Order: sequence, then C-alpha cells, then structure tokens
Amino acid sequence: MTKPLLKKQEDLQDWQEMFAQWAEEAPEGPLKRYYQAGMIAPQTALQDTPLLALDLETTGLDPSQDEIISLGLIPLNHKIIRCQGAKYWMAKPECSLNAESVTIHEITHSELEEAPRLHAILDEILLALTHQVIVVHCVAIERQFLLKASMKIYGYPLYFPVLDTMDIERQVTFKPWWKRFGRRPSLRLDACRQRYKLPRYKAHHALTDALSSAELLQAQIAYHMDPKADISNYWI
Amino acid sequence: MDVELTEILEALCQHAPFNEIADDPQLNDMTKEIEIRYVRTGEWVIAPSAPNNTLFFIRSGAIEVLSKENKLIQRMNEGELFGYYSLLRSGKSSQSMRTIEDSLLYCIPARWFLKLYEENDIFSDFFELAREVRLRAAMESQNSDVSLMTCPVVSLLRRPPISTDISSSIRNAAQIMAEHRVSSLLITDKDELIGIVTDRDLRTRAVAEGLAYDTPISEIMTRDPIVMDSGDYASEAVLKMMDRNVHHIPIVKNGRPIGVVSTGDIIQKESHGSVYLISDIYKQTSIEGLQSISRKMTHTFTQLVLADANTQMIGNAMSHIGTAFVKRLLQLAEEKYGPPPVPYCFIALGSQAREEQTIKTDQDNALILSDKYNKKLHGEYFEALTDWVCNNLDKCGYDLCSGDIMASNPRWRQPLNIWKNNFSEWIQKPKAEALLRLSIFFDLRGIYGDKTLALQLNQHIRQEAQKHSGFLTFMARNANQRKPPLGFFRQFVLDGEGEQSRTFNLKERGIAPIIDIVRVHALACGSDKLNTLERIEDIEAAGLLPNGRAKDLTLALEMIGMIRIQHQKEQIENGEQPNNHVNPENLSSFEKRNLRDAFHIVARQQEFIKFRYAGKRS
Repeated sequence: MTKPLLKKQEDLQDWQEMFAQWAEEAPEGPLKRYYQAGMIAPQTALQDTPLLALDLETTGLDPSQDEIISLGLIPLNHKIIRCQGAKYWMAKPECSLNAESVTIHEITHSELEEAPRLHAILDEILLALTHQVIVVHCVAIERQFLLKASMKIYGYPLYFPVLDTMDIERQVTFKPWWKRFGRRPSLRLDACRQRYKLPRYKAHHALTDALSSAELLQAQIAYHMDPKADISNYWI
Repeated sequence: MDVELTEILEALCQHAPFNEIADDPQLNDMTKEIEIRYVRTGEWVIAPSAPNNTLFFIRSGAIEVLSKENKLIQRMNEGELFGYYSLLRSGKSSQSMRTIEDSLLYCIPARWFLKLYEENDIFSDFFELAREVRLRAAMESQNSDVSLMTCPVVSLLRRPPISTDISSSIRNAAQIMAEHRVSSLLITDKDELIGIVTDRDLRTRAVAEGLAYDTPISEIMTRDPIVMDSGDYASEAVLKMMDRNVHHIPIVKNGRPIGVVSTGDIIQKESHGSVYLISDIYKQTSIEGLQSISRKMTHTFTQLVLADANTQMIGNAMSHIGTAFVKRLLQLAEEKYGPPPVPYCFIALGSQAREEQTIKTDQDNALILSDKYNKKLHGEYFEALTDWVCNNLDKCGYDLCSGDIMASNPRWRQPLNIWKNNFSEWIQKPKAEALLRLSIFFDLRGIYGDKTLALQLNQHIRQEAQKHSGFLTFMARNANQRKPPLGFFRQFVLDGEGEQSRTFNLKERGIAPIIDIVRVHALACGSDKLNTLERIEDIEAAGLLPNGRAKDLTLALEMIGMIRIQHQKEQIENGEQPNNHVNPENLSSFEKRNLRDAFHIVARQQEFIKFRYAGKRS
C-alpha cells in the first residue's frame, strides 16, 4: 500500500524546539507553563503520539470580529478514540449573538447566558491541550481563533502542532490537472467522511465535530498513513 | 462540566436493546467509556480463538461471524451488536468476527455490558442466548391484553343467566325474555341446564309453525346445547360458533350455568366478522351470492389480524370459512343433481385439512366414494357434481389447483378400497420424487358427506406408516428439501454459502419445513391429529423429541406465521394481492431477529429428523 504523505527532509518541522523557544519568551502564567511542559520529539512515531481532536464553534467566520462560543475535545491515538477523555466548554461571547448563528449551533441564548467568559476557562483548556498534537479539520480557523483569544487574554500567541484532516485529504485526493476529471472532490468534513463510509453526523456541535474529525483521521491512518512513521511527516 | 456525547448516545438508542432502555441514566455514563475504532474491510475484529472483552456496536459498515470451522454463521450491519457470547462466557470466544466492509465500531467495555446485564431485565432478555427463550419472550411481548385470544370467555358475560324451568310454556318463556330483553333463555330442570331457546327458535319453531302459546317450552328448545367452561378463552367461543353455526353458547362453572355468550357480545368486544360470514354463507342460494361473500374475506382477514388473532386462530377461521363454502356448494350441487346414489365423502387436503388456511389458497381436495360405487352407474353423477363444485369454488376465490389435485380429477375421485391401495403402495414402496408431490395427501380431512370414509382412510394410513419405517426415512429426507435461510444481511436474505437474494418465500422456507417435520413425527407416533400444533402436542406426549424441543417447533411456527400474516395484511392494505414473498427491506429489526432465531430452530430440527429416521431397518 502506498503511504503518499511522507515529507521531504527539508520540510520537516521541529515543534519541540519551537516550544522550548516560546517557553522562554512567553510571559509568566498559564501559557508559559503550557510551553514549558514541552512537545513530543519530531522523531516520535505516529503510533506513539498523543492526539487530541478539537473543534470550535464561533459566532461567525471572521476571527477579527467573531468569538468562540464552544469548544470540544476528544482524545485518541492512531487506532482508538477514547470517549472517556472527552471535554466540552461553552463560553459567553462579549457581543450579543445574532439569531442566525444560534440556529446553526443548536446552542440557545440562555445556555450561553449562563456560560462563563472565555478568559475564565482558557487556563483550563490550555491544561487539556498540554503536550498533545491537535487533530482538526481545517486548521486555519481553529488556529486563528485560539491565537486571537490568547493574544487578548495572555498577550502572547498560542501555537500548537496539528494534524489537519482536511489537508491530509487534499493531499491524498490530489491529482495533477491533466489527470483530473470534472470537479475536484469536496474537502468538507462530511464529504471526506463519506469517502471512508463513515456515518453522517449532525454538524455544528463542537464535541460531535471533534469526534467527526477524530474518526476521519482513524480512517485516513488506516488507508494512507504509516503508524510507524515519524510524526514530523504529518504535523503542521 | 458534564460532557454529553449525544451523537453516540443517540446512535445507540436507535437500536435494540438500547432503544428500550433509553431512560436508564447509566447509559450516558456508559457512553463516556466507549472507545471507537475504524476497521478496514477484511480485518479481524475478534480473530479465531482470540479472547474478547468488548461488546461491539456496529455504527457503520458490516461484519461476518464465522464458526470454529470457519463456516459462515451470519452477517451483521449497522446497529447490530456482537461479542456478547464471549462476554457471557468469561471472554472465551468460539466464533470469530471479521469486517466485510470498512466499519466504524463502538467498543463497549465488558464491565458495562455485565453491569447492565445484571441490573436491567430488558437488557438481559435481549442477550438471552437460548433462541427458544428469546423467541418466547418476543411472542409474549406481542400479545395484547385486550384481545379475544387472551381474554377468558367469562369476561364477556354481561349478566347472570336468565333461565326458566322446563315446565314453562312458550308464552312464559317469551315473557321472561321480553322482560329481561335477552335473545336467549336457558331451560333448567332442578337447576340443571338441559336446553336453550333463542329468539329465532320462537320465530321458526313456534310462531311459524303455529304452535299454541301454552305448548311446553321443551318442544322447541335445543336439547343439550353446546356449552363452554368459564375458564375457556373467548377465541374458543368464536371457533365453536363458527364450527357449529350457533349464535349463543351457555357458559358453565362447576357444571352450573353462569351466563350466555352471544355473537353480539363478541362483536361488541371486537369487530369480528367471521362468525357472521359463515352463517351468511349457509344462507346463500346462488353462486353470485357466495361470490359476493368471498369478496368480503379479505376484510374479515384484516379484521382478525387487527384483533391480534394468532396464527392458529386465523388459520382456523379461514379454514372454517373455506369449509363452509365447500359444504354450501355441495348442498347446492345435491339440490341441482339430486341426492348422491352412493355415500361419498368430500375431503380437504393440505392446509385446509390441517385447519391452517390463509387468505390466498388454491383448492386441494378429493373425493372418497363408498365401496358400493360402480363407475358405470354412478360415474357421471360424481363427475358432474365435482366439476360443478370445483369450478364454483374457483369463482369464489379458491383457485383451481395447478397440480390438478381436485375432486374433479377422476384419479382423485376413488372408492375407499382404491384409496387404501394407493396409500399402501406409496408407503410400502416409497419413491422420493413421487412422495414430494404426494405429501399433501397425508393431511386429509373429511369435510362433507359420510365422514367415516375419511376416518377409515386416515386409520389405514396411520397403520401402514407405523409399520414401514423406510417410508419415514423418505418423508424425513423430503422434509429436508427446503432449507430456511441463514438470516438477513441489509436488504438481503442470506443463505448458507453466503449467497444473498432480494426476496424469499416465507411459506416455502419457513412454514412448510416445520409442517413437513411435524408430519413425519406425527406419522411416526401414529397421531390422529391433522393440525400442526395439535400434532406437536401428540409428538411431545409420545416423547419423540428431547425434552422441550417439540414446544420449540410451536414457537417457531407461531413466530413465522405471525410475521407472514402481518405481511399479508400490509399487502392487502396497500391494495396488493397477498402472497408469501417477503422482502427483508420490509421487515423490522425485531422481526428479522426473531425470524433468524426461528429459522435456526427449523434447521436444527431438520438435521434431527434426518438422523432420527435414518434408514434403519425395523
């Protein structure tokens, strides 16, 4: 079986080294402790990597204006997803919610009204993220929203290594233009899952979506990735 | 904060047994300990002889279960559970499981399975390993309390019996009936029930005949009426009314009347047309009249199903109706062609003889003539009579038999001694091929005419069959011809070697094999019963089967029969012709599961008779 995802030597990133550097720079507090806890070595095998699927729900798609309203986490390794470690938070946004996004998220105004502010729970979230490689579908969104939140709350950026199931899918479905026939396959989470015969879930609940991408990664590993390969081939 | 994995919990709760215990708060805790695995096609989930400590729930995909000998046992898909066999046997697994599609599996820790199994009866019932026990529980869950089938006849009684002494006059009796507004009156002699008088008796036997008002009531009453015991089921009262064509049955307790059940009481209890349908049949004087009644039969059938009648009850009702058509047609035929020159008996074969008819049946019948029959003198009469009856039965919805097993066929219209010779020949020199076609003759019931002819023939068959064990070997082999399916997989029927098909014939592959098995045993033990359930009772009493196994056959037959009837009811409601072809897509998972268990019982019993009646010499 082909394992097409392996990277060239010069493209490998060393998150362990970068974490050490940020641990120096970050201001005292939870974020510094997060970096000080360190990251696994780039030579760690995928099968030995502690993985944590993450999903955010937000008031909209613009990180400069919109806010995180919920966050779901679910731990896994290359073979098993463990519901036992699943975590879920809701956060009350600073600005008022419009009706539209409420219908998308199935979270009610009253639930959010009673939820704590993000700054009150981000410490706790950081603790959960410590030492984990994060699994998301479409890294751009999650990274930017968390980056913005950490800038605001800690005055320093939050970075973390990611296995992006969307990026993995883009690579495995990639064909040069002369071999393409018709439209490119969709990279939406639901469409990717269907390619692996995974069941359809109701979208837009942070924990369900985290579970969705965790399952998608399991399938991608089973089909396209080498559990014995270094994690540095896959993380971005 | 409390984490709820709603997606997982909801997926579980869409399927048995979780759907039935969805209110158990422990389920949410259990969900939190689930592990999820993605397994690609062709990989072992439980490898041969590997231990297992997990209950697997197939969230998507499919697996197949293989025996120790690597033989396919079943295939399972979304929503099904596996691995519990080994959990109940402390981790030891005799079966292996392998994915046949890419599958997403929810792995529930053994600890949770065992905890729920201990604490929740609904949950543990579902995993009951003995198929028989499981089926029994399923049957019981189907019975509703309000139906005629399960309510005792006493519950239909609305008042104490109204009675009068034998010394009363017709006028007295009529006054009492008017005063109490009843349509029947019990006649007693020193408190002992000796007769019954109905409205109709007063009309037809007294007024129409111009009897004097002071005539003693004993002159018009029906003596020694049919009675039922207070402990009998209401359904039995219905059968009795149909069988005897009566509308009132006194109910007795410890020998003393405690009330009267009328057809009206039964109609009130449940709209139940079969009793009236039969009396209507006897009132008809023309073919058109009978035809118009036959068009109401589907309605009667649907009513019976809606009233939660069981298969036995429906088979019985349909057979009684069928028999009423035959009897009425023969009465009309005798009016048309004159009284028979020699005694004869019209016999029903197959399902009608077993009293197991359903809504759509061909006619299977024959005629036994007295040995006084002389073809030259009487042949023409019986040819005309049977032609007329069989053709008109066809017009009434009982299609002509494609195999020409009908009284109108001269081959099946013979004097008793010829019939006896035929059977002796079939039994003493059995030929497998021929017996396959003839098995229907071993279910034979006289329904009109001189029934002693049919009784004599049945007695002859019993004697011959018991004397010739070689014959039973052939019958047992033939009873193994039609194998039930292994089970279901998705929208397919699954067979032994893994073939899958879209539909299957529930009668051919489920009901007929049971009837065949039971017939072999019944012949072996010399039972004089024809009805399959009654035969099973005889077989059990004769000890032919290991303890309890006879009952399993009853259970399997009732379960398959129930699903068949339900299926036919739905076809009728959809305006389709009812048949026996079932598409697994139209079966619920409950039905599929129960059918699989029933099929398993049938397959095992088929194996058993092969061995039990193997060609040993007597």
